[in-house]
Amino acid sequence: MAESILQVRGLFKHYPLNQGILFKKQVGSVKAVDGVDFELARGETLGIVGESGCGKSTVAKMLVNLEKPTAGEIRYKGEDIGKLSGKALRAVRRNIQMVFQDPYTSLNPRMTVGDIIGEPYEIHPEVAPKGDRRGKVQELLDVVGLNPEYINRYPHQFSGGQRQRIGIARGLALRPEIIVADEPVSALDVSVQAQVINLMDRLQSEFELSYVFIAHDLSIVRHISDRVGVMYLGRIVETGKDAEIYDHPTHPYTQALLSAVPVPDPVARERRERIILSGDVPSPTNIPSGCRFRTRCWKAQERCALEVPLLAVPAEFRHASGPAAHDSACHFAEETLTIGRSAPGSAPTEE
Amino acid sequence: MLLEVRDLHVEFRTRDGVAKAVNGVDYGVDAGETLAVLGESGSGKSVTAQAVMGILDMPPGRITGGEILFQGRDLLKLKEEERRKVRGAEMAMIFQDALSSLNPVLSVGDQLGEMFVVHRGMSRKDARAKAIELMERVRIPAAKERVKDYPHQFSGGMRQRIMIAMALALEPALIIADEPTTALDVTVQAQVMDLLAELQREYNMGLILITHDLGVVADVADRIAVMYAGRIVESAPVHDIYKVPAHPYTKGLLESIPRLDQKGQELYAIQGLPPNLMHIPPGCAFHPRCPMAQDVCRTDEPPLYEVNGEEPTRRSACHFWRECMNG
Repeated sequence: MAESILQVRGLFKHYPLNQGILFKKQVGSVKAVDGVDFELARGETLGIVGESGCGKSTVAKMLVNLEKPTAGEIRYKGEDIGKLSGKALRAVRRNIQMVFQDPYTSLNPRMTVGDIIGEPYEIHPEVAPKGDRRGKVQELLDVVGLNPEYINRYPHQFSGGQRQRIGIARGLALRPEIIVADEPVSALDVSVQAQVINLMDRLQSEFELSYVFIAHDLSIVRHISDRVGVMYLGRIVETGKDAEIYDHPTHPYTQALLSAVPVPDPVARERRERIILSGDVPSPTNIPSGCRFRTRCWKAQERCALEVPLLAVPAEFRHASGPAAHDSACHFAEETLTIGRSAPGSAPTEE
Repeated sequence: MLLEVRDLHVEFRTRDGVAKAVNGVDYGVDAGETLAVLGESGSGKSVTAQAVMGILDMPPGRITGGEILFQGRDLLKLKEEERRKVRGAEMAMIFQDALSSLNPVLSVGDQLGEMFVVHRGMSRKDARAKAIELMERVRIPAAKERVKDYPHQFSGGMRQRIMIAMALALEPALIIADEPTTALDVTVQAQVMDLLAELQREYNMGLILITHDLGVVADVADRIAVMYAGRIVESAPVHDIYKVPAHPYTKGLLESIPRLDQKGQELYAIQGLPPNLMHIPPGCAFHPRCPMAQDVCRTDEPPLYEVNGEEPTRRSACHFWRECMNG
């Protein structure tokens, strides 16, 4: 692996739930992020997938220091950013930038495009001296495929895809090393999504960027990512190289998630084996004991309620070297599917 | 045909001019059949559905031409009172966002029961019993206790089930589902689509599924109509369209889906943006973005050509559908 640029260790974010007006007392907490570890190498793309409420966006916010972790550390080139302040913190934040999901609400409607993209320079004047800024902004517009003459226009004069390009240009303004992109294409039309994905791909090689790419669209994550982490209820339940996760998932949640994705191929619909999970994701205020997925898992046994499965290579695969030997937080990790509820007794069909 | 839309035109008058949202749409759906209407935002897919349901905001909307034949009757010629009897009882709609479509200050039991009180003249007590029955049909656990709950007390998937229950209440012949699972998570989306398909089979309903998701379409549809700038650009049985698209727009959409063997390569992307509905390009509306465009595309609007030799009928609004299918 290339040099590691970002390390996340034991990251927690719990939001307290208070009761009472005069004498506030804490009655519980929303465990949005509940122990997340990962690493990001230089020039790499780490995809994080998961359903709404799994904590993926909270992780993103902590990476760019918009939220303070309850516990755990985020190390940028070995330095814990939670312990930094003042100048040192500003220098780190310059290098970790974010692209937001909704290009309609993340751009100030009263600012021109030039002001939006140039605003980071106000906070970090060392990157571009005052007289130089307009030129820099126009350069950025050109880089993301917008006409540099649009510098005086307002966000409403652009389409969704163009606005996302503006958001990306703003993210690039300070020449960061890491870009955290939280659902950067999910608000866009299908025909425009591909344009933005291609742009992000090109910028990555041009500027040697590392991406943390957060999304719920599994096919897009696979296309862009080198490694993938699957989150469920505040934890990463399985992680590995993209092919390991997509072709050889061993965690039941990943297996169910992958099988539930509608495939754009009508021929596949008859022969596809689908796992349909019952029920909804439990509330993050009241996370099940042991394995947090057990309430929806068809393999759950007594052990799952008692023992928290660790994110590690499962014992069955520890001595194998195949693609199934990657981290998976399940006591009963298996590569082949044992289909439960949806089709009792039927064996999975291998294509 | 259960429902047949013929040459429908809808426009919206706004301060900035006239937006032509629907420009001559034809489609039909049979009992027991699922028609998927695929399109991006602004393609007119929802506006067409709203015109069919009779819930278009008029003004600013205006139906400027066409017919909507439902069980042989032209709905556009009916009086509003007659139309109201059709709506809900004979055709029903499921909306994308269940939370904002349900009334937040009425319990779900009251909202479901209202259908029976208004359309069937039932007493409140009987309507309540019916509501519980419906909630059980869409598999909401502990329906008896939850009937008194309010919409915000349900999860997204459960709320969408309530929307489905409400649409099914009077056993309509046709259901229009406008992006029914777009707001839901993947694992819940699969549950809801399965339920919808099962109930459709059971009641032998026609289903119009409006979506932008090529995956959902492939999973459930019998036929597809692809819309662009207020027109149908291609309509075909689901298997044919995925095998060989006959319109460059459909082809572009299919090719822009990330595929396994293309990992690390550039994705195919349709160039440019969908058109502004106030200034739809002359000729074929897709020509500024089309890699196959010729001079004729800039001047002549293509009719819906019959793609020959295909049974059941398949249509494409491209002058060069042959070339598109061959290359």
